[in-house]
This record gives sequence, structure tokens and C-alpha cells, in this order.
Amino acid sequence: MHMLVLTKGVPDFREGKVSFDEDGHLERGKTPTVMNPNDKIALRAALQTKVKCGGSVSLMSMGPPGYKEILQEGMADVYAEDLYLLSDREMGAADTWATAMTIATGIEQFDAEPDIIFAGFKTADGETGHTGPQTNWCIDINEELTDRPLITHVIAMEVDEEEQVVRAKRLVEGDVSEIETIEADLPAFIVTDPEFEANYRKAEHRLRYKDCREETRERAENLDLEEDVTVWNHEALNLDPDFIGLDGSPTIVSGVDPIPKGPSERDATMIDPDDEAGMEQVFETMAEYAAGD
Amino acid sequence: MADLDPTDHEIADLGPKVQEIDDVDELEAALELEEDGEDRAGVKTLIESRIETLEAEDEDVDPAEADLTELTVADIANLVRDVDDVDVLEDMLEREQAGKERKGAITQIENRVEAIEGSDEEEGEELEYVPPEEKYPDLAHPTADKQYVDTAAGEDYRDMWVYCETQQGEFVDVAREMLGKARQLMDDYNDTYGGDEDGNPEEVVAVVIGDEVGDLAEKAIAYGADRVVYHEDDRLERFRHKPYTEIFCHMCRDWDQDWRDYYEPRYTIFPATNNGRDLSALVQGELDSGLASDCSDLYIDEAMISNPAKTGKPGDSVEFDRVLHMPRPDFSGFEYSTILCIDKPFRDFHPQGASVIPGTFDLPDPDEGREGEVLEHDIDLPEDWFHIEVTEHDQLEEGIDLTGHEVIVCLGRGIDHEDPTEGIELGVELRDAFADAELGLTRGVITASYEFGGHVEQYVGEERQIGESGQVVEPALYIAAGVSGAVQHKVGMDESDTIVAINTDPEADIRDFSDYFIEGDLFEVVPRLIEGLETGDFETVLAEATDD
Repeated sequence: MHMLVLTKGVPDFREGKVSFDEDGHLERGKTPTVMNPNDKIALRAALQTKVKCGGSVSLMSMGPPGYKEILQEGMADVYAEDLYLLSDREMGAADTWATAMTIATGIEQFDAEPDIIFAGFKTADGETGHTGPQTNWCIDINEELTDRPLITHVIAMEVDEEEQVVRAKRLVEGDVSEIETIEADLPAFIVTDPEFEANYRKAEHRLRYKDCREETRERAENLDLEEDVTVWNHEALNLDPDFIGLDGSPTIVSGVDPIPKGPSERDATMIDPDDEAGMEQVFETMAEYAAGD
Repeated sequence: MADLDPTDHEIADLGPKVQEIDDVDELEAALELEEDGEDRAGVKTLIESRIETLEAEDEDVDPAEADLTELTVADIANLVRDVDDVDVLEDMLEREQAGKERKGAITQIENRVEAIEGSDEEEGEELEYVPPEEKYPDLAHPTADKQYVDTAAGEDYRDMWVYCETQQGEFVDVAREMLGKARQLMDDYNDTYGGDEDGNPEEVVAVVIGDEVGDLAEKAIAYGADRVVYHEDDRLERFRHKPYTEIFCHMCRDWDQDWRDYYEPRYTIFPATNNGRDLSALVQGELDSGLASDCSDLYIDEAMISNPAKTGKPGDSVEFDRVLHMPRPDFSGFEYSTILCIDKPFRDFHPQGASVIPGTFDLPDPDEGREGEVLEHDIDLPEDWFHIEVTEHDQLEEGIDLTGHEVIVCLGRGIDHEDPTEGIELGVELRDAFADAELGLTRGVITASYEFGGHVEQYVGEERQIGESGQVVEPALYIAAGVSGAVQHKVGMDESDTIVAINTDPEADIRDFSDYFIEGDLFEVVPRLIEGLETGDFETVLAEATDD
């Protein structure tokens, strides 16, 4: 079973890591880039499948050469066997359509179609949630099959290798939330939901999981970023620059504003926690709602 | 006496005729004839909007004389649109700079100057199409032939198509919210532009797909649709990516209908629900166009674009009109971006697509008297479109209801000043110190991927999120510990009676909507609050604390 996981590097939005300028704009240069947190969830789904069914896991990203380190991070942190980076100035500033076009073409470079392609839900920066579905729609690799089944918002999954089907639970949100159980033939494209949970119920799975993690950590440590990451540019993919990157993107960002600050609506009483009188005032407000004995 | 009797004409022919009339009395007379005769809602809107436009013109302010300080930025934007004299604009600019000096107003005026001056330079400098084989001779050229690439250019686009998602046989609320907003947008659009390029009003087209949705379709009219297109099939009872996408695209691109005499829609709007967002991505992908997801507003306006990818000429600015502006929070809620979907030379990017966060727009009151047309769409749905089988579905038990409690304790990213796990523990303890309280979280805590200890994991999930995309609460007491107070959070809690913030940063935005602001670390302050509440003896706790 060949599994491919798609990933992207994003600014590290955690408190203390993320940096803003005076006007409240994100300072990309001062903010470290990390693997998109949702993509780690997709990697976990791939690892779970690998542990239970065997096979190999490839990890692919599109971005600047520095993203090799993101691929390495994904390899070390979750699990991956081989790494691919689609990298070229022409691919820069792509929106979801142009990204999907590029990644789909990258996927078409494999000799055989991956059995399962995994993607995470939104990225922490663009936050569209479009790239997974659009990539699946774009892939044109198999003449017999115009599109692989697209299964999004997956919170649990199992692959039945014998029958070549995937069974999954997906989260449907609307005015009420629902869980759907679905079944589809492989090959398939899976987008994991942030609520996805891997499960390793059998002892042999837990052992194999441990082995896989150790093996991949060792591989990640010894990784030669120059040698061991396959890099494809637009020429290798034979992609016309007019259809990728900024030039191929239907949408542009016309303005970025810091989240506007709401007008001051309450006049806060400032309280120093060491000031007894001030704290007493707050305590009194709260005591009214305290749990009784 | 009216020269025009609308009842003699089809609505489609009336657009240009009504636009030609400049006399309000004549229009009033025509309106009366229509009311007494066929009384078609669309015709009345058409005439009324023309009357409104003319009346607005009468009150016109002279841009050369106007007191700009009396006008809003939107008024100025409308005003400059009709000014072609750069000197008048330059003068306006000076007056604005001397007056209120609003950034938005200045940009509007400058953009207009640029549009006029830019258009002078363009003459005689037509862009020329270079075939890809000449432009990039080293590449083999399959890209334009790739599946789903459509290199349409200069085609006709009209109307706003709205996907009305259903769940358990009813429209989800956001479907009705979108119809109300679409109605408003297209009414303004028809007022501003006088309809499409030929003067015909553009419509709101509602799309309903599912099992036995024909009766539901009628309801879309009351919420603002001019036309409803529905497709029903028992296999469509639940959302399926492939058939829903194919059906939507066939309706709006391939379906041969007299009224749909255009290439593709001008605009498409979807709900930003799990399924709606997926459908938006696939439909826009298939139609070879772009979209913005999770929008928190929508408006149609001109846009001055200098991006060479769109203008084809570095250094120039080009004005694009009728552009759907799509503001949305991104960067994990740290910034707002306004996304535009814009044609480039020799390649159209229409429809301009958006998905909308549920609850963004007001739920409109249905107008049962509204008239519109309901059409059934019927094509064969091949079995292989149903390659995903839904074997089971269950409604989830409602998660945690944060509304209706006396007290809400909300934790923000301040919990990572020390150990996030300990932060959650403190939040739970504080909650339990109150008689009727629940624990809420900001979106930041949920998306930050902290590694929580197993025993607190159950508390961290979207079901506890407070804010724009979470729950909206209004307890008697709201305690915000380590919450910076992003505007998306504010909308979820600012109706609370008393708000107490605990934050180390006295400049945190939340100060502006707190009643008490304890300037301190939640890891020090919260334990004291817990102890005080549990023992009922604040004085001792305070005395101990200040003795430290």
C-alpha cells in the first residue's frame, strides 16, 4: 500500500513564537515556520494505516527550499519514508486553485497511483480548507477513473486490504452535528478532521507503531536534505508558469488588515492583584455565584 | 399618463426601457399600471429602483463644492465614481486632507485619479496574446489541456447563485441568511449598475439539491430568490461530493435554458459548513475559477488593481468593476484579508465564489408574497458518481451547552505562560467553585496544538469554543483568564453582565470590554480566587497573598 500525505509549512502561531509589527501585521521573517498542525493529523492517519496494513508513506509539500526542514520535521515527528518538495519561484503566491494544479501534477509523477492520499483540513495561515478537495479534483493520473472518492472530515478510519475498501466516519456539521459512516473503494483521497483519532487496539499494532516511530526518527536524524528530498520544479513537472503560482491564481489578496480593535465599551477598573481593596471588590462580585457547602 | 405600460411587456424587455425614463412621475404612473395589472414583484422592483436612483440623483451633491466632512467614506466612494475631472478630484483630496483626513476616503479619491490617468496611458497599448508554445518553448504544453482547465475569455456572466444547503429536510439557517444577503447585494447591484451590461436586472438564483426538496424550493423565494433551481433524487438524500458538484455545475454552466443565456454565473455563494465548503471548492475548481472561504462579510464594489498577474502590465493600475469583495479572518484569526477573484488577460476567473460563516448575516423575515420561478433540473445521474456509500448516520448528541449558565470561566492562550495542562486544571477548578458555571475556551487554545496531559484532553475541543465560530454566551459573570480579546472572541461574550479579565498585559484588547481588569498572571491569580470562593474567607486569602 502506497500512501501519500500532503503538507505545508506555516508560521508558528503559538504564543511566544508568533511576532507582529507595530501595525499588528504578522512578521513572517521573525516568526518560525513549522509543519501545519492539521497535517500532522493526516500523517497520523497514514501511520495508522501503515501499522495495520504495511506499505510506505510519502510526504509531499509545495514551497521554498526551506520547506525541506518541514518535511524532515514531519518525518521525525510522525512518520514518513520518502520526501518530495515541489519548489520553484514560479509556484510562489499560489492560491488554492494554483496549488491544487501544481500538487496534482506532482502526484501524477508517481509511476503508480497512490492507494490513499491524505491531506489535513485547513492550514493555520490561509485557512481555506479547499486545497485537499481541489487537488483530488485536479489529479488526472488514471484513465479508468476520473476522480477518486473524496472523503473529508474523517474522524476515524479503517482500511480493508482484502476488499480494497476504506471505511470511515466523517463529521457533518450544520444546524446539528452528525456522524456518517461511509464505505468507498480504493484508491481514495482522505481529508482528516482536526478531531481525528488514530486507534491501535491490538497489542501487535502498538508494538509495530513503536517500531515505526523509532525507525523513522533514526531516518530523520540521518537525513541529508540535499540528497534525500526529491525536488521538482515547474520544468520537471512540465507546468506552464501561466497556470501556477500567482499568475495561475484566480484570487488575489487585495488587503490585509489587523483584526480591527472594537470600540471601548466598558471602562475597566484596573486591579493590582496585590491590592487587597481592589481584589476584595472582585471577590465580592464573584462570591454571589459561589458554590454553597 | 404613462408612456410605458409595463403590463404590455415581458420583464426581460423592460429593463432597458425603464432605464431610459428620466421622469419620476412617468415611472410612478407605470408602477401604478403594473400594480393594478399583473403586479409582478420583479417589475415593481425594477421601476422602484429606477425611481430611487433618479431621486438620489436629484439630491446630488456637487463634488467640487461638497463638504466632505458631512459625508461618509461610502458616500465619497459613490461621489468620486462619477467624476472624470482630475482637477476636481485633486481639489477633493486637498479638502479631505485638510478636513477629516480619513485613510479610506483618501484611498477612494486617489484610486479614482489613478483610474482616470491610468486609462489615458492605456490607449494604443493593447495587450497581445502570446500562445504558450511561443512564450515557453522549452516546455511541452499540456497544462492548458489538463482536465478542468478552461481558458474561457471575454464570456458573459450574470446573476448570483446561492447554494441552499439542507439538513434533515430543512434549509440550514445559513442558507436563509445567505439568501437575505444575496437579495440585498443584488438589489444594490441593480441600483448601482442598472443591471447587467445591457441594463437587465440580475437575479438571485437559489440551488437546492437533495431528496424530495421540491416543496422546500418554494420557500427560497420568500427569503429572497428570484429563481430556484432544484434537483431531487432519493440517492441525494445525503450530501455526496461527486454528484452534488456535477449537478451544481451542470445547472449553472451546461443547462440549456432561455433565462440562463450566459456562460456561467457572475457570483456563487456557499455556506462555510463542512459540506458546503467542500462543495464550494469543487464547484469553483470545476468551473476553473477562484473563491474565498469562511467570509465574514461580502460587498460588491470597484477595485483598483496594480498586480501585474491581473493587469498584464507591470506598473499600471486597472479598475475592475462589479467585484465581489470577500473579507475573511485568516492567519489563525490574527488578521483580516480581503480576497478578490479577478479575471486576468485572456483568461476569465468567473464566477467569483465565496463561502460564508454561518451566523454572519441576519436571518431575514420571509416575505410569503414574493414572486419567483421554481424550476426542476433533471439529468441522469450515473451510478459511478455514487462511489461513496453512506452506510450509517447518527445525529451527535449536542455537545456542551455553554449558554444559560450564571458564570463562564474562559481560558485563552495565556495558559501557555506556564504549563497549558495546569492552566486547564485551574480553569476546571475555578468553574467548580461556582454553583452554576461552565468552562469555555478561545479558538486560539483549541487550534494551538498544545500537548495536554491526558486527563484534561476531554476539556479541549471546539464544543467549548466561545466566539464568532463557536458559542455566544451572556452569563451574569464572565471570567476571561489569559484571553487577549480578539474581536472574534468579543462577539461571543460581550453581552455578559460583568466581565472580569485576568491578563499580564495591561494593553490587551480585552481591557476595552472588561469591567474589572486584574493585571496579573492567571497562574497566580486564579488559585487565590479558587481558594477564596471555596473557603468563603477572602480576607485570609488576600492577607496571605499580600504577605508573600
